[in-house]
Amino acid sequence: MAFLQINNVSKSFGRAWAVRDFNLNIESGELVSFLGPSGCGKTTTLRMVAGFETPTSGVITIGGDDITNKPPNQRDVGMVFQSYALFPNMTVAGNVGFGLKVAKKPAEEIKKRVDEMLELIHMPEYGERYPHQLSGGQQQRVALARALALRPKVLLLDEPLSALDAKIRVSLRAEIRSIQQKLGITAIYVTHDQEEALSLSDRVVVMEAGRMEQVGPPFEIYNFPKTTFVANFVGTLNSASAEVVDPARGLISVDGVQLESAQDLKAMKKGDKVRVAIRPERFNFVAQERKANVADCTIENITFLGSIVRIQVKIGDTKFYMDTFNNPFLELPALGAQDQVTCSKEAVLVLND
Amino acid sequence: MKSKNIWAWIILIIGLVYFFLPLLATFEFSLKMIKDRYTFEAYRVAFTDRQFYLNFGYSFLWAMLTIVISLLLVVPTAYWVHWRMPKMRPWVEFVTLMPFVVPAVVLVFGMSRLYGGGLKLFGTPILVLTGTPILLIAGYVVLSLPYMFRAVDTGLRAIDVRTLTESALSLGAGWRVIITQIIFPNLRTAILSGVFLTFAIVMGEFTFASLLYWPAFGPYMEEIGAMRAYTPQALAVVSFLLTWGSIGLMQWIGRGSVQEVTAAH
Repeated sequence: MAFLQINNVSKSFGRAWAVRDFNLNIESGELVSFLGPSGCGKTTTLRMVAGFETPTSGVITIGGDDITNKPPNQRDVGMVFQSYALFPNMTVAGNVGFGLKVAKKPAEEIKKRVDEMLELIHMPEYGERYPHQLSGGQQQRVALARALALRPKVLLLDEPLSALDAKIRVSLRAEIRSIQQKLGITAIYVTHDQEEALSLSDRVVVMEAGRMEQVGPPFEIYNFPKTTFVANFVGTLNSASAEVVDPARGLISVDGVQLESAQDLKAMKKGDKVRVAIRPERFNFVAQERKANVADCTIENITFLGSIVRIQVKIGDTKFYMDTFNNPFLELPALGAQDQVTCSKEAVLVLND
Repeated sequence: MKSKNIWAWIILIIGLVYFFLPLLATFEFSLKMIKDRYTFEAYRVAFTDRQFYLNFGYSFLWAMLTIVISLLLVVPTAYWVHWRMPKMRPWVEFVTLMPFVVPAVVLVFGMSRLYGGGLKLFGTPILVLTGTPILLIAGYVVLSLPYMFRAVDTGLRAIDVRTLTESALSLGAGWRVIITQIIFPNLRTAILSGVFLTFAIVMGEFTFASLLYWPAFGPYMEEIGAMRAYTPQALAVVSFLLTWGSIGLMQWIGRGSVQEVTAAH
């Protein structure tokens, strides 16, 4: 039995459903992120695990205990908020030790545990500072230490890095991941940033309009999106309407250009309308003679994005992005030039919605 | 631009003269108890009257009781409104503004009628409170509501009530701990402004104390004013200084918190 179970949980506010039929089992020590645009229900689901919202229906259990209707202060769940939420009237040590003080632990034990936690977040000398004397990144690390000080069964993180600037975000997310793995704590991480979700999770739950779209390891979510929504939301994606030409051979056609897909299309019929998706980095210019998946194109636009160069090409009447790694010797094609692009048949994803 | 400036100054000066001239005149008059020279004789007389200390002491007691009850009523209410019922805020604010709409005289008459035997159960008057100071304190709490509520409300708006509450909850804290250790300390400045305003109001209040027959500074001043010429002027100056002292203290404490906030950025 999984450590944290969310079974058939739904939540409505008035007539609107914030979350519908949410089912998820999280193993002990696993970090699962809820990824989706704002209003998709990811934060509501997290708040139901924390106890700040009560599910309209469904059951949530931690380690076998039904906690669905338990008040938040009896759940043994640590929470980190986007806005840090440190107590402004207490020092860093006071904040980290707050939960232990509430639990009436002896003073020496609190002190020892606080020191341990400050060591963990690499801020041992900051104990006597007040929150307003710290930077955003430091405040969030203290908030993390505070949530972990009570050794909760589950750690919940609600967009913890959204208020920080890009550099700190990257370094802090690595730190969060390493602390989570070091302590082996079960965690749920809510974010709208796909890069964050992909880089630190064991599994990603992509949500939209209160429903789970897809659940899986980051690699799977990125490379094999099951729905158009997932494909579009996670990473940059070209998607176009296509028509099935030969289901047995996996042949489809985009604006008359035939492409071969590695996917099994046998369930479809010739002439079926489908959506097809191809990641920009899977395209290449044709260097040598190839037979399959070659398309004539016109160069429409070129955007420099640092480590990669994004080229917009037009195949038939459909525009696609293709990405190529930047290097100083790159010979970029001229705008409006005719060229040929190709991609492997594994790159051609036929979406099933 | 320049002429506008001059007009602004002229209006300011007219305003200041209008406000301060009577005060200065009162002060000047209070110094003339002994013929042909300025002395503080009126103040000496005022401060040697035992009745002064008695009435002042009572007013102080009423003020302290009012402050305690007002805090116990307003802080949890305002906190709950902020956390759970933000849509109710305008209504609660409207209710707290009642003393600005209903004159104190009307309020005190209504209260003494209702709680002076007007409320009957099976023909027997119940809740007869006119012999106790409860009515007086209750009335003062109502008078202090607009100031106390606004002060606390402003303080609550400056902190993220919801997230602070939730993080305390997730750390195992109960309501008593949240109110006493998180909310009260973070509202210190706001609460102190409410406290000083309430103090100033109760110390100078006349209508309630006079009509409910309780000793207080306001009625005492009125009584003295009817009998003597110079001492009441001295007392008026003293009570002005008291109010200003409260407001000054409030400003001074408030300034500290502004510095704290700036240091955070």
